[in-house]
Amino acid sequence: MANKKKFKVTFNMLLFLIWILIFIGIAATSPVFLSPSYLLNVMLRNIIEIGMVALPMTLIIIMGGIDLSVGNIMILAATLGGLAAVTYGSAVAVIVTILTGLVCGLINGLVIVKAKISPMVTTLATMYLYLGISRGISKGSSIYSFDFATTMGTTSLFGIPVQVWIYVLLVVIFTVLLAKTTLGRKLYSIGLNENATQYAGIDVGKIKIAMYIICGLICALASFIWLGRFTSIKFDAGTNFNMKVITIVVLGGTSINGGIGSMIGTIIGTLIIATLNSGLTVMNIPIDVQTIVHGSVLIVALIAYAVVNSRAKKKKLIKIEAAPKQVASM
Amino acid sequence: MVQEKKRTASFLTKEFYLAIFLLAVLIFLWIFAKGFYTINNIMSILNTYSYTLIAAIGMNMIIITSNIDVSTGALVSVVCLASAAIGKLGLPFPVLLPAAMVMGIILSTINGLFITKTKIPAIVATLATTQIFQGVLPLTTEGSIYDLPATFTWLAFEAKLFGIVPASVLMCLIITVIALFFMKYSRFSKKLYAIGNNQHSARLAGINVEKTIVITYAIAGALFGVTAIIIATAGQRVTTTMGSGLEMTLIASVILGGTSTAGGSGKVIGTVIGALILCIVSPAINYLGISPNWSDAIKGAIIMISVVVGAFQQVKKKRVIQIPKEVLNNGK
Repeated sequence: MANKKKFKVTFNMLLFLIWILIFIGIAATSPVFLSPSYLLNVMLRNIIEIGMVALPMTLIIIMGGIDLSVGNIMILAATLGGLAAVTYGSAVAVIVTILTGLVCGLINGLVIVKAKISPMVTTLATMYLYLGISRGISKGSSIYSFDFATTMGTTSLFGIPVQVWIYVLLVVIFTVLLAKTTLGRKLYSIGLNENATQYAGIDVGKIKIAMYIICGLICALASFIWLGRFTSIKFDAGTNFNMKVITIVVLGGTSINGGIGSMIGTIIGTLIIATLNSGLTVMNIPIDVQTIVHGSVLIVALIAYAVVNSRAKKKKLIKIEAAPKQVASM
Repeated sequence: MVQEKKRTASFLTKEFYLAIFLLAVLIFLWIFAKGFYTINNIMSILNTYSYTLIAAIGMNMIIITSNIDVSTGALVSVVCLASAAIGKLGLPFPVLLPAAMVMGIILSTINGLFITKTKIPAIVATLATTQIFQGVLPLTTEGSIYDLPATFTWLAFEAKLFGIVPASVLMCLIITVIALFFMKYSRFSKKLYAIGNNQHSARLAGINVEKTIVITYAIAGALFGVTAIIIATAGQRVTTTMGSGLEMTLIASVILGGTSTAGGSGKVIGTVIGALILCIVSPAINYLGISPNWSDAIKGAIIMISVVVGAFQQVKKKRVIQIPKEVLNNGK
């Protein structure tokens, strides 16, 4: 076992290398990029909401699920919160926003667990539903920010934007949760073989519902920051958000079939996308080319992952034997 | 074969319930929505329905093999723009249609090859290609191609059956009839169901799984091409976002039609009904006097309810592993 560690090239190391290369490449061409204020206030601030939601999404995807409705939960929470703020004030708005996130997550979880519908279909349907509800309630017009959201989105603490602090805190919590707790092990176990996990005496349904609720809550939290940062939002703002979150998680090496992945990967994935986004903007590259670059990076990462993974599989063939079978039955 | 007999014997299938629901909606609209059954409205719905259904049939085939394509919207946009660029030269429709189909085939085959060669799950692979397609679009044109000649918009404005029915309906009808027979009787369609049910046993049974999946994507690509040319020729201006969001409507139609995203099941007739229900929603609530802002919510609710109802019917049939309470409690 000790011998193995010597020459093991993990996917996270490759990913980290890719990030460093991108970072150096961009910094070399435009030195403005390297100033701390730019890195903190532009690069990090612009990715926070996506990075934040990517954390619980990693848990869900490791568990073998997926949530296509996150962006729409976020917008629905912000819409209801913003409307509540107009009549009842900021405090009520905060409660309404958090409750919305919780209920949306609960609906996703309950339908997936109780009606045994595949997570993709369920969240696709709820995506429509949440989008439609926020469109209907807001009557298609913009929703404006309220006190609490503005504080979350614009203030700084010790010279670092407050949302970065929140993100770092969440990163620590989620990394520990996935890597160091029994709950984390259970998530991997569910992703690898749900039936076996059930037989091992783990209440799979409860864990699943809990994960979707956590995801909903983080979406609500992200909605404060999103609303505060943009001061107003429209109902359709969350549509691309879903795919961006999933892109980051997949880029981080989490297998969409479940059972494989790490929080560190997701964090590096977030940093790569953040660096690309702001770096390419600094280099005056039009937004369309940026999309192509995103796609290409994702494809390169996927292929790299496939190569590393197939080698790993060959090495410990017996251990991972169960995984591909589960994949086939999906 | 035995199962096939059983199916025809019992007409209480998912598709049957869906058809009843559709009929109920249509009767409801006849009573409450004044002006819904005017010729103009019906023709406009039929046109939307035609291009949605044509692409949905392709998506249905892909989903039956337990794959998925989330890049369709971007793909259709690319084909729209490319065919507009060709159409600007004044080429007639009989040239444009095959050109669009070929472009659809090429782009969709890229998806198929990417999925089969790298063994990356379809949803992730097509997510990546979506970004490539979307990024390529605005590079080639500045926002839109406009002032297109009359030869380009011939399909939408001049090609009408009996003076009123859009020609797209005829195209849709032909494709649907072919699809109905193809998916029921052809050997190729049996391969699709086999792959969707169990890819490994399909391979052991002698099916070239990779080749079949790539061909499926190619066929779907041709259908996406047809959809793209109908969407593109609707006006004298083609923008870079013509097809955006289409993939969700297609997947929703297919799922509403009773095709499982797990693969291996689903019929064309279900998709035919599912797509029609989704296409009716927006104009229907318009005529019912409800704000159009609620259309997405109603669509979502319909998909949700139909999926949940369908699932509870299925749960009884499935072999669900029952775990004794004691086992669960011991684990804590």
